[in-house]
Amino acid sequence: MKRFKSILLLTLAVLMALPAFASGSRESKAAAGTPDDPVSIELWFGAAVTEAGMIPEDWVGYDIVREKLGIDLKLTMLPSNESDQDVRIQAAGAANSLPDLFMVRRPVLTNLVKQGLVAQVDGCFDKMPTRTAQQYDANSIAHTTIDGHVYGFASPGAIAKNEGLLIRKDWLDKLGLEVPTTIDELIEVARAFTFNDPDGNGRNDTYGYGAFVETDATLKSYPGSRLWPIMGAYGVEGLWCFDSENAGLNIYKPAFYDFMVTLKAMCDEGIIDPNWLSYKKDDFRAAWKQGRFGIMYEQNAAYAATANYAPFDANFPDGEWIIIDAVTGPEGHAAIGAYDMNYRIYAVSQKAADAGKLDKICELLEWMSSDEGYYLLGWGQEGVNYVLDADGIPVAGDLGDNAFTGPKGQVYTQLRNMVFYNGDVELASRYPTYVTEVSGKTMSALTALREMQAKKWTSAIGSGTMPTPNADVQRYYDQSLAEFLTGAKALTPENWQAFLDQFNAIGGAAWNEEGIAKMQADGLIR
Amino acid sequence: MAIGKTGEGSAQTAVQRPSRSKLRREIARHRSVYLLALIPLVYYIIFKYVPIWNAQIAFKDFMAVRGVLGSEWIGLENFRTFVNSFYFWSLIRNTVMYSVGKLLISLPLSIILAICIYECTRPVLRKVVQTLAYLPHFLSWVIMYGILLALLAPGDGVVNDIIKLFGGNAVDFLSNVHTFPWVVLFSDAWKEMGWSAIIFIAALMGIDVSLFEAAMVEGASSWQRVRYITLPAILPVIVTVLILKLGTILDAGFNQIFMLYSPQVYSVGDIIDTWVYRQGLLEFEFGLATAVGLFKGVFGMILVLFANWLSRKLTESSLF
Repeated sequence: MKRFKSILLLTLAVLMALPAFASGSRESKAAAGTPDDPVSIELWFGAAVTEAGMIPEDWVGYDIVREKLGIDLKLTMLPSNESDQDVRIQAAGAANSLPDLFMVRRPVLTNLVKQGLVAQVDGCFDKMPTRTAQQYDANSIAHTTIDGHVYGFASPGAIAKNEGLLIRKDWLDKLGLEVPTTIDELIEVARAFTFNDPDGNGRNDTYGYGAFVETDATLKSYPGSRLWPIMGAYGVEGLWCFDSENAGLNIYKPAFYDFMVTLKAMCDEGIIDPNWLSYKKDDFRAAWKQGRFGIMYEQNAAYAATANYAPFDANFPDGEWIIIDAVTGPEGHAAIGAYDMNYRIYAVSQKAADAGKLDKICELLEWMSSDEGYYLLGWGQEGVNYVLDADGIPVAGDLGDNAFTGPKGQVYTQLRNMVFYNGDVELASRYPTYVTEVSGKTMSALTALREMQAKKWTSAIGSGTMPTPNADVQRYYDQSLAEFLTGAKALTPENWQAFLDQFNAIGGAAWNEEGIAKMQADGLIR
Repeated sequence: MAIGKTGEGSAQTAVQRPSRSKLRREIARHRSVYLLALIPLVYYIIFKYVPIWNAQIAFKDFMAVRGVLGSEWIGLENFRTFVNSFYFWSLIRNTVMYSVGKLLISLPLSIILAICIYECTRPVLRKVVQTLAYLPHFLSWVIMYGILLALLAPGDGVVNDIIKLFGGNAVDFLSNVHTFPWVVLFSDAWKEMGWSAIIFIAALMGIDVSLFEAAMVEGASSWQRVRYITLPAILPVIVTVLILKLGTILDAGFNQIFMLYSPQVYSVGDIIDTWVYRQGLLEFEFGLATAVGLFKGVFGMILVLFANWLSRKLTESSLF
């Protein structure tokens, strides 16, 4: 019995002590950083192909960085959803167990910096001449500068101005309508698309405008970027206005109320897909491929890339979307949307810097941007995952499943966002021109991109660094606008003013003032 | 979970308490059972009791680099932030509304389902119903959202198609403040009813079959058998479940609400946990998040103690 009790006690003690070792053992001595005694670097990265798996254990890159740099690289893929990424990073931060190098969004970075969890990297850029020349310009460095110090490496992210206003040309032709150029004409076309059976199936199953609520904390405020072409007609696209005359939150502009009146009228008339408030991104994308609406705001690749366009092509071989100019509003404003420079930030934990790993991390990043690292991370191994065409562009060739575009090969390119900088080679490789399977159209997401970028956009550069409100202010902002649109609250000038007054009272005014001060301090006001 | 009878019974138990050597012998004799019990015990110690130590960050301005002990003590400041938040009463109202609503809808439905399954005389039908009823429990709320959207979307949802077929106007169930709470309550009931019924089916299995046989000989109808045998027999289990549910009255189902809600229905959809997610976790206010967790835990414990006392007074059965 005594023995049994002892075993029980021992087992309990061991199990209770286990959490103490949960964050792993501490390195007893600093590694030399040689192939025989490599420095361990843990990297949490954002996957390039979120639906594909992790880089396999047999990836040749592990051996290369060990042999050439003396680094034992440990990779972890972050969740694909941004909110989940934030939670993962914040939770690791709270436990003071951030990895050595990790991808992080700027609002989260700001919190981590306040906590003293992120290392300053001001002196690192000189140690990475190739990479700095490729990826880190003054804007990029300013993006991760907080209180005068640089706290991360901001690489070019999603291509700016890569979305556009699209309309079903086949529907316009069928109904004998012209491409709209003003907001009134756009509404008129939306009305015709809703009520005049543009697909000719004899059923009342189409709508004019399609959207979903796509928002973020700094640029795409409620009701979100999918409504930007309409907001642009009133000059209220984007959360912040950086013009010297109206610097501050766009919500304070009188034109914002006019935009709300227009959008509410579209909702009430039923010329905007009534599912727009319930759709998630995938629902919205499935809907336009099923021919539910004829006007939308969509991203170039989501519209024109091979796999994305294929379902629409199969459903509507005679269907055709065209990218149109921004429509003009009553005061002459017009914009497709607001754009900021998009960056992917990789930060170094203070723990890693304290352990003397900063130089090795710089070596790793510099190697990634070398020719060897760039092509290996971007496309895999030549002859295995890609071949070079006559112009020196990596292409899939006849490599089948092992090609960088194939199901087996694409996992070897999961780190490509750490080296890509939207250069010509990448874009030509990423967005090849192709012929659609059913209708035989020639399509190119790159052509679509260039066309979208050529339209009229409003600069909101610096939005990503602007302050964010607390949860109550954010909820009041979103909820109030939503209630006006759904009719839960009557949209009248009096109610609008009451909304603004209350918004100011609970912290909106302070948020606006903080934002204007930030704009002035950073020289963002034009 | 034993349901103790109060009064004389407990005094008797105290008198009959075994001696220490007898207790040792008992443990040695049933060591395999105690070993089995050790696994959940260790789980609770590691994941439930050890973390209580960290609850002190509810009273601190938590800085990860300083750790739990090194962070500055700020007293009740985090609690004040929560209580003084603009939407405090709205959060409490919504949270309690969903918790109580789920209790009122899901619990009776689970009991009814359990009785129906128990009373069903066709084994194949019983198994099919049981499996179909359990199935939604294993679906995530992401998938459930897709199903709900297909059913309830205003444009082409099945329910709205039917409404429009009969000349009505489409209703945006997920974005309407009047319909959203019902969607939450009934979708939860649909998803969890089958799973919650398991405990009641287990309780029903324990009823002496001779009671039913005697009742049938006496000419009792099915309803009378349910009313006079089944329900009284499972009453202690119902009370236990009720008491335990009261302990989590401020947990209204984060996953479900987080998936279903949107700014249009914040006024009736935002609950304490979604607020904590936005204000506590996303803003790195872990002290605040812990304070709210502590607040919920203490409030739940008070309710459990009260419900236990009330149950003992009214039904002479209680959890402890």
